[in-house]
Amino acid sequence: MAVNVLTRDDHRLQAARHRASIDLSCRGPVLAFCTTALFWLLVGSALALIASIKLHSPYFLTGSSVLTFGRVRMAHLQAVALGWSSLAAMAACLWLMCRLSRVELTYPRMLYVACALWNIATTLAVGGILLGDGTSVEWLDAPVYAQPFFVAGVGLVAGWVAATFRRRQESHVYVTQWYILAAVFWFPWLYTVATLMIFWTPVTGVVQPVINWWFNHNFLGLWLTPIGVGTAYYLIPKILGRPIHSYYLSITGFWALALFYSWAGMHHLIGGPIPAWLATASTVGSMMMFIPVIAVAINHHMTMIGYFHRLKYSPSLRFTVFGAIAYTAVSFQGSIESLKDFSEVTHFTHYTVGHAHLGAYGFVAMIFFGLYYYMIPRLTGREWASSRLIRLHFWCSAIGITLYFTTLSIAGWWQGRMLNNPNVPFANIIAYIQPYLALRSIAGILMTIGHIAFAILFIVNIAGWGRLRTAGPTLFVEPVQQHTPEVATSVPYLRPQSVHLHQ
Amino acid sequence: MDPVDVAVLLTVFGSVLTFGGAAVWALNWAVQNGQFENFQRGALSIFDVDEPVGQATDYFPGEAPPPAAS
Amino acid sequence: MDRGMVLFVGALLTFTSSWLGLVLFPFWQLQNQPPYRSEPTDDPYPRPLQGLAWVGMKVYQQSGCMYCHSQQIRSDRFGNWWEEPIGMMRTGGDIKRGWGLRRTVPRDYIYDYPTMLGTMRTGPDLSNVGSRYSALWQHIHTYNPRAFNNWSIMPSFAYLYRKEKIVGSRSEKALPLGREWTVHPGYRWRPSEAEWELILREQGTYILTSYLAETPQPDNLNLATLQGKRQLLEYWLATPEEDWQLVPTPQAEALVAYLLTLRKAEYPLPEAKE
Repeated sequence: MAVNVLTRDDHRLQAARHRASIDLSCRGPVLAFCTTALFWLLVGSALALIASIKLHSPYFLTGSSVLTFGRVRMAHLQAVALGWSSLAAMAACLWLMCRLSRVELTYPRMLYVACALWNIATTLAVGGILLGDGTSVEWLDAPVYAQPFFVAGVGLVAGWVAATFRRRQESHVYVTQWYILAAVFWFPWLYTVATLMIFWTPVTGVVQPVINWWFNHNFLGLWLTPIGVGTAYYLIPKILGRPIHSYYLSITGFWALALFYSWAGMHHLIGGPIPAWLATASTVGSMMMFIPVIAVAINHHMTMIGYFHRLKYSPSLRFTVFGAIAYTAVSFQGSIESLKDFSEVTHFTHYTVGHAHLGAYGFVAMIFFGLYYYMIPRLTGREWASSRLIRLHFWCSAIGITLYFTTLSIAGWWQGRMLNNPNVPFANIIAYIQPYLALRSIAGILMTIGHIAFAILFIVNIAGWGRLRTAGPTLFVEPVQQHTPEVATSVPYLRPQSVHLHQ
Repeated sequence: MDPVDVAVLLTVFGSVLTFGGAAVWALNWAVQNGQFENFQRGALSIFDVDEPVGQATDYFPGEAPPPAAS
Repeated sequence: MDRGMVLFVGALLTFTSSWLGLVLFPFWQLQNQPPYRSEPTDDPYPRPLQGLAWVGMKVYQQSGCMYCHSQQIRSDRFGNWWEEPIGMMRTGGDIKRGWGLRRTVPRDYIYDYPTMLGTMRTGPDLSNVGSRYSALWQHIHTYNPRAFNNWSIMPSFAYLYRKEKIVGSRSEKALPLGREWTVHPGYRWRPSEAEWELILREQGTYILTSYLAETPQPDNLNLATLQGKRQLLEYWLATPEEDWQLVPTPQAEALVAYLLTLRKAEYPLPEAKE
């Protein structure tokens, strides 16, 4: 074999082609996860609006068992937490793991099966709840017959992620891979243990809510949070073209999260009929959470410093940075909420609902939106159809969640103060929170408008109606392209004027 | 002190000792084991010659890319 | 050790620690609590739900009631508020509101499945609701909460009640509600001015006769004036529909039976003393 002297452009083309072939190998399954996730986001938004409006206008859609508030609320949670967030999280796991391990995905067909299983489970969960099979076990409201499908679906994904990691070509293990691997290991275990102990061989009395809150908190802490933080750890440096500020700090943060987050759940039962030491242990765990959160906050902030103007240019960066800031905010808030004196007021109120949405939407959903805007064009080879719609989506979501969080925090705080005071009649509390609940519906409408803009962009992109990516550094290079000098110069992104090197 | 307070104190100190001890042990093991050598290089593993450090990889479609960082 | 192995072992250990501490240990501590008897010959407390009440618990469960109603009474030393105007800090709102006589403890829940402690109080706590209201109150309130409290935002559960034509005489179970609440089950109904005129033209004499017969001291109601018409309308809206009745479905009966069994915060358990 003749020795070729490769030019720098040749090297670049090779690298680009390798990356493109990896993207191509996960294209089918990842798009399947993304599409169905988006579908559940829309279903979840509709259910959310119905539930929200019912809380201030009780005559809205009354008269049917299917759309009664309690059922719609349970179904909403399943649609957004198990449907949207988890499917998007699994898409993130698969794509990021392939990219970071620098290997192609093998046997992608089994992942279609995983995606189908998870969607069957979510359909059974949402449909079952609306038709009257909800279990009223918070976050685990899905009927018992949906549970095996969830376990099988995520089990397959976990297996594929682990197998991809084992086949890695990259010698360095990036922090995102740590987060993803831990999450796919923790979640199936967590879900299986919780469902076994609550439904299949039920434990007695208050041990159920104890296990229930251990699960609920870990669903966010050991499943969505690591994947969300891991995604941000990839996207922010990658979009900026600037390595993460301190790799040290990122690994420390990871281990602190693993140690402390799993202990934090019991503060949801403060004051309740459980042994006092349980709530105390969780308060300790929650306070220790300051360590990983500060580590992540410092790291992301130091990476962004001097680069904040880039938020003007990159849609993906905007969503991701919003999510990262929300992560810091929601975690600080969560630690403080676990303190007894604070919890005495905010427990049992809409304050907690606001907090939950800052976490699940402000942090998790926003980061996954950022991931979609970065990942989808690289998978489909098509550019987003409209910058205006992306901006609409961002501002609707950002203003929506801010309004949502603010109104419920104010309403919830005063609701809690009034609930504690036995001289305030219940009617006054209801009258006081009602305008805030109406504002919350407006916030929900804003977010839903954003989701519709997002869905339009996504459908146009997937259907291939958008224009091909032809310019700019985010170009998708078809791996099948033959490397000839003509091609090299015809690929616009190799033209010197469109690359920005600063060394 | 009633038994509940004792239980609470034991839980707090017990957790701190267990958590703290485990963390110190893990950190010590990691340093001894050389886990922290060549650490910062891990942060560069997401870049390659095609998308090197210094290159922005995302901006609004059809609009001007960000100016290169100085 | 290879990085993958480090990660696996670390993730395993951290997770196991919380599983042991937050799941297994409370499980051992609380799993086999027996019911309480103050004297060996006494009835044990608590007792498992049976029959209709158990069915009713299922209705409560599948309707997601616990997303607005908790079932736990917090300690008299918990939940601070400021007593006006003296500005003193006080605690124990749950008990002072009359939601229960004492705090609830793990033993109150040993037969609950699922244990619906709840985390939200959009509505009041229900641990002890069985000793607060009658079955009839519960039926009317479940059918449409605004029949009692016009400020309520609780959903109407009218779908648990059947509207049927009266055959023979009115059922004993029929809800004693005026037509205001029964014409459109789940909603509050009121005829427009024009509709009321039409109704008056057709049945005016009959309505007026029964009004005069049923009012102990009938005033001089003049149907020619607007005020008189409105007064008669109020009376008529409060009377039941002549040919129709609303009866609870078995589900509604079960739900109310369950609500009446909820008396978690009154039996004097020794461990609930503060």
